[in-house]
Amino acid sequence: MNLDVRSLRTFSRLAHSGAEKAAGSLTTLAGIDTYVNVTKVELGTKSDVETEFAERDLVSVHIGFNGGLDGRTVLAFSPESAERLVDALMPGIDATDADGELAASSLKEVANIMLGGFIDGWADYLDTSVDITTPTYVEDDDSGPLKEIEASGFEHGGTDEHVLVFRNQLEAADNAIEFDLYMVPTPDSIGTIVEASGEDDALPVESFAAFSEMVNDGANQASADITSMTGIDTTVEVSRLSFVPIEGVPMSLTDAVRRGVVLEFSGTPSGYIAILFDEPSAENIASSLLPGMEGDEAMRQSAIQEIGNIVTSGFLDGWANALETTIDISPPKHVHDLGSAIIDPLATDLAQSQEYAFLIDSTIRTDDDEFTCDIYALPDETELRKALEQLSPAA
Amino acid sequence: MQVYTTDTSSPQSGRTKVGIADYAVSSDQSTLTTSGLGSCIGVALYDPDTCVSGLAHAMLPEIEPGGEPAKFADSSIELLLSEMEAAGANIDRVVAKIAGGSTMFDFTSANGDGSIGDRNVETTRETLARFGIEIVAEDIGGSHGRSLELDAQTGDLRVRSAKTGNSVL
Repeated sequence: MNLDVRSLRTFSRLAHSGAEKAAGSLTTLAGIDTYVNVTKVELGTKSDVETEFAERDLVSVHIGFNGGLDGRTVLAFSPESAERLVDALMPGIDATDADGELAASSLKEVANIMLGGFIDGWADYLDTSVDITTPTYVEDDDSGPLKEIEASGFEHGGTDEHVLVFRNQLEAADNAIEFDLYMVPTPDSIGTIVEASGEDDALPVESFAAFSEMVNDGANQASADITSMTGIDTTVEVSRLSFVPIEGVPMSLTDAVRRGVVLEFSGTPSGYIAILFDEPSAENIASSLLPGMEGDEAMRQSAIQEIGNIVTSGFLDGWANALETTIDISPPKHVHDLGSAIIDPLATDLAQSQEYAFLIDSTIRTDDDEFTCDIYALPDETELRKALEQLSPAA
Repeated sequence: MQVYTTDTSSPQSGRTKVGIADYAVSSDQSTLTTSGLGSCIGVALYDPDTCVSGLAHAMLPEIEPGGEPAKFADSSIELLLSEMEAAGANIDRVVAKIAGGSTMFDFTSANGDGSIGDRNVETTRETLARFGIEIVAEDIGGSHGRSLELDAQTGDLRVRSAKTGNSVL
C-alpha cells in the first residue's frame, strides 16, 4: 500500500463531503442543525483504534460496507450525546431505560441514513457500487470497531498493522450533541482508492508507519521525562499522525483556556510545537516543581517553560536520530490563552504555503485524568515529505 | 468551504457556528459564533433595518489564484456581502465590527511586511472601505486570542478573551 499527499487530499475531500452529506441528512431527518467540525485522515495501528473506543466509553452504531470498497463505518457518541440525540428524535422516550430498545433502534435508523449517504460519495468517486450491511448497535464497547469485520479484509496482520481511519467530528450546537463518524477501509480498499487518484510518486505506507512509530516513541520519552521530573506518574494515552485541512488544525481544539509553551523547530522537518495543559494540570506542575511557590505567577511561568523544554526535547530528540539529521529548537514561549487561538497563528503561518497539514497530536495523562498534557506538532508539509522519504524502506 | 446559511423557515433563533476559513449569514436573528481567533480576523457585518447579519473568520489577508475564498479576508468579505444582499440586506446600511488580528508570537518566518495579524487587519480595512462600509467598533491587535458572538437582533458583538475578559462591541 502506497500513499501520497495528493491521494490524502482526495481522501480528505471525499470524507469531508461525505460527512456533510451525512450531517445534511440528520438535519433533514430530525430538524437538528448539524455541522462538520473537522475531517481528519489518521494513520494508526489497529490497536490504537480499538483502545480509543474502549477508553472513551462510546455508544456506537457500526455498519459494514462491501463491494467496490470494503470496510466499516462507525457513528460514535458519548452516552450523553446519544441520549440527547434520541430525545431530539423521539421526545419523551427514555434512552436510559432498562432495555433501551427504542433508543437503540432510533440510533440505528439515524446511522443507516447518515452512513449510507457517507459511503455513497466514495462509491460515486470510484464509479463502483458499494453495499452496506444492517446496522449493529454497540453499547459497552468490549468489541472494538474492527473486531466484527475480521472476516472481511482485516484478518491479515496483527494489532500493530496500520490502518487509515477517516474521522469526522460532527456537532449540533443547539442540542449540545457531538459525535464522530469513522470510516475504516480495508488495506486492499485503500489501495483501490490510491490507484484511482493516480499519483505515481507515492510513498509506501511503511514510511508513514515508521514516522508514526517515531512520534509514539517521542511521546513515551516525553511522558517518562515528565514523570521523572515531577513525580507525577503519566502515560501516553494517544499519539497519532493525521492529515487535516489547515483550517481544521485549530478547530481540533476548543476555546477552553490553556497554559503551556509554543516553540519553533528547524531542520528536516521544521515546524511548530505547542505543549498545552489545562489549568489544573498547570497548577499541578507548578506545585510539584516549586512546592510552596506556585502562587507566584513568574515562578509558575518558569516552571511551565521548564517542563515545556523537557517535553520538547523528549519528544523531538528521537526524531533527529531516526531521521539522521539535526533539529534545532527555539526557546519556549509561555502561553496562557484560548486553546484554539494558541494554535491558530501556527496553522496560519503554514497556511501561507500549504492547504493541508500533517498534525501530530499526543496526549499524556495520569490514570485518574487529573493531569493531562497535549502535544501538538505541525511540521512543514514539504519538509515532512523529505523526512518520510528518509524513512522509506528503500532509503 | 461551507456556508451554513440559517434556515429561515425555522422559527427558533438558535446559534450558528462559523468555523475557520468559513462564514455564515443569519436572516432569522440567530446568533453567529466563532472561536479561537489568534492572528485570524473576524468580520461582523450588520444591517440594522433588516437585522440581516454576517460573520466571517478569515485566516490570511489577500486571496491568491486558486485560493479558497472563505480563507482570505478580502474575498470572504465580498462573499459575505453578496450573501447578505441575497438575504435582504441593503449594503448602504451595513456597518462593520472587526476583532482579532493579534500577533501572538514572533516567528522567524515573519518578513518585513509585518505580522499576518497586522496584514489581516489592514486588508480588512481596505476591503470594507472599498465597499463604503464603516467600521463602527473594533477590538484588534495585541498578543491574545479572542472568541466572538454576533447577536443578530441587536448587532452586538461579544468578544471573549482569556487576557482582557469579556467585552461588547
